[in-house]
Amino acid sequence: MLDLFQLYLKLVGARVRGQMQYRVSFALAGAGQAAATVVEFGAIAVVFSRVPRIGGWTLWEVALLYALAETSFATAELVGSALDDFQRRISEGTFDRVLTRPLGTFFQVVAEDLELRRLGRVLQGVVVLALALGNLHVEWTIAKLIVLLVSIAAGIAIFLSIFVLAAAFCFWTVEGKEATHVFSYGGVTLVDYPLDIYADWLRRFATFVLPLGFVSYYPALFLLDRPDPLGLPDWTRLLSPIAALALGACAYFGWCIGVRHYQSTGS
Amino acid sequence: MDVFGLYLAVARMSFRRQLAYRTANLAGLTTNAFFGYMRAALFIALFGASTQTTISGYDLQAAASYTWVTQALIMLVNLWGWWDIEATIRTGDVVTDLARPFSYLGYWLARDYGRAAYFALFRGLPGLLIGQLTFAGGLRWPANAGAWMALLASLILAVSISFAWRFLLNVSAFWTTDARGIGGITGALVMFLGGFVVPLRFFPDWLQPVLMNLPFAGIIQIPTDIFIGQLSGVEALQAIAVQAVWALALLGLAQITVLFAVRRVSLQGG
Repeated sequence: MLDLFQLYLKLVGARVRGQMQYRVSFALAGAGQAAATVVEFGAIAVVFSRVPRIGGWTLWEVALLYALAETSFATAELVGSALDDFQRRISEGTFDRVLTRPLGTFFQVVAEDLELRRLGRVLQGVVVLALALGNLHVEWTIAKLIVLLVSIAAGIAIFLSIFVLAAAFCFWTVEGKEATHVFSYGGVTLVDYPLDIYADWLRRFATFVLPLGFVSYYPALFLLDRPDPLGLPDWTRLLSPIAALALGACAYFGWCIGVRHYQSTGS
Repeated sequence: MDVFGLYLAVARMSFRRQLAYRTANLAGLTTNAFFGYMRAALFIALFGASTQTTISGYDLQAAASYTWVTQALIMLVNLWGWWDIEATIRTGDVVTDLARPFSYLGYWLARDYGRAAYFALFRGLPGLLIGQLTFAGGLRWPANAGAWMALLASLILAVSISFAWRFLLNVSAFWTTDARGIGGITGALVMFLGGFVVPLRFFPDWLQPVLMNLPFAGIIQIPTDIFIGQLSGVEALQAIAVQAVWALALLGLAQITVLFAVRRVSLQGG
C-alpha cells in the first residue's frame, strides 16, 4: 500500500513537473479555473441582491452549501483529472496498454494525470467556505468541527465515485459520455443550492439514490442547527461517510464490470 | 460557381457533418435539459418564497423561459470551448486553408452557420419542447410574426458575434501558445457578462446600460429577451442594431487579423 502511494507520487510528480515547464500557461489556466467559478458565486450574489432569501436560506447560508459542494467537487476533479477524458483512451485504444501492465487498472488510470491548474477551483471553494463561516455565527462544538471535515472528505469521495462511474460508462459507449455530466456537473450545481427548493422526486433521488445531498445540504443542516423540511430524523444528517462508502462500493464494482466488459477498438 | 453558392455548400457540408453524431447530440440534449429543469426550479423557489410577482421585470414564466431559452442557445452560439482553428494552427494545416482561393474568414463563418443551423434544429428546438412540457404553464414563446422575425435576425447576428469572438481567440494562436488559457478565462466572463448565468437585469441598475451594450449581451441576453418578449417593438430593433454594430466591428477586426496572420505565416517560411 505504501509502495503504491510512493509510486503514485512519483508518476504524478513527473506530470506536475511537466506542467510547470510552461509557467505562463499554468498560471493562465489556473486563473481561468478560478475565474470560471468566481463567476458562479458572483451569480449567487447577484440573485441575492434582488431577493433576500431563496426558500428560507440567506446569502451566507447558501454560500456555505456552495462552498462545501465546490471544495469537494474541485478536489475530486483534481485527483480524478485523468477520468473526464477517459472516452479518448477507449476510442484510441490506449487502454490496452494499461491491461498489459502488472498493476491495478484503476490505479494506473488515476496516476496518469493530475492537472494542477484545477487547484484554482479548489482554492476558490476554500475562500468562499472561509467567508461563509466567518459571516454565519455558527455555534461551534467539537462535533460540528468533525462533521465539517468528515463531510468534505465524504463529498470528495462521492464526486470521485461519480467520476469513476462516468468513466466506467465509457466501456459501453464513448459517444454518450456527455450524458454523465448530468450527474457530475449537474450534481454539483444541484447541491450548490438547498435541496428543499427542488421537487420531491429530485430531493429523494439526491438523498436515497445518488447521495449528493450528503455533500452539502445535510452537513449544513447540522452545522446551522436547522430542522429538515423533508422530515428525516436528525441522525440522518450525519450519514455522509456511510453514503460515501456505499457509492464508493458501487463505483468499485462498476469499474470492475466495465473492465471485464471492455473490448478493444480492434485496430 | 458563384461565391454565395460556394459558401452555401460549405455550410451544408458542415450541417451534414454534425448529423453523424446522433448519440452525442442526444447525450448533450439530456444534459442541457437537466440543467434547464434545475435552473428553472431555482427561479420557482425564488418566486415562491417572495411576495413579489416580478423580480427585475421578470415574472415567473419569463424567468423559467429564460433558463430554457439560454440552455437552448448554448450549442447554437457554441459557448463551450471551440478550438477547431487553433488546432489547425498547431498542426500547420492552416497553410492549406489560407491558400484556398476564397475568403478564409468567410469559409469558417459559413461552416459555423452550418453548425449553428444543425444545433438550432436538433438541440435548441427539442430542448425548448422539453421545457414546454415540464414547466407548468409552458414557456413564453414569441408573441407574433414580427417577434419571430426579430428573433431570427437576432439569432443570425448572435452567431456572427459569437463566431467572430471565437475566431479572434483561435487565431491569437499565431502569436501565443496560450490561446486556450486565455480562452478559459474569457469563456467564463462571456457567460457571466452575456447574461447566461443570471439575467443581466438582475445586475445593479447602474451597470445594466453598460452590460446591455457590450458584445456579450448580443450573444445571449438580447436573443433570449426577444424570445420571451422582454424586448419588443422599438426596443427590440434597437437591441438588434447594437448586435449588428458589434457583428460588423468584430468580423472586421477578424478580417484585419487574418491579413496580419498571413504575413506572420510567410515570415516563418510556411
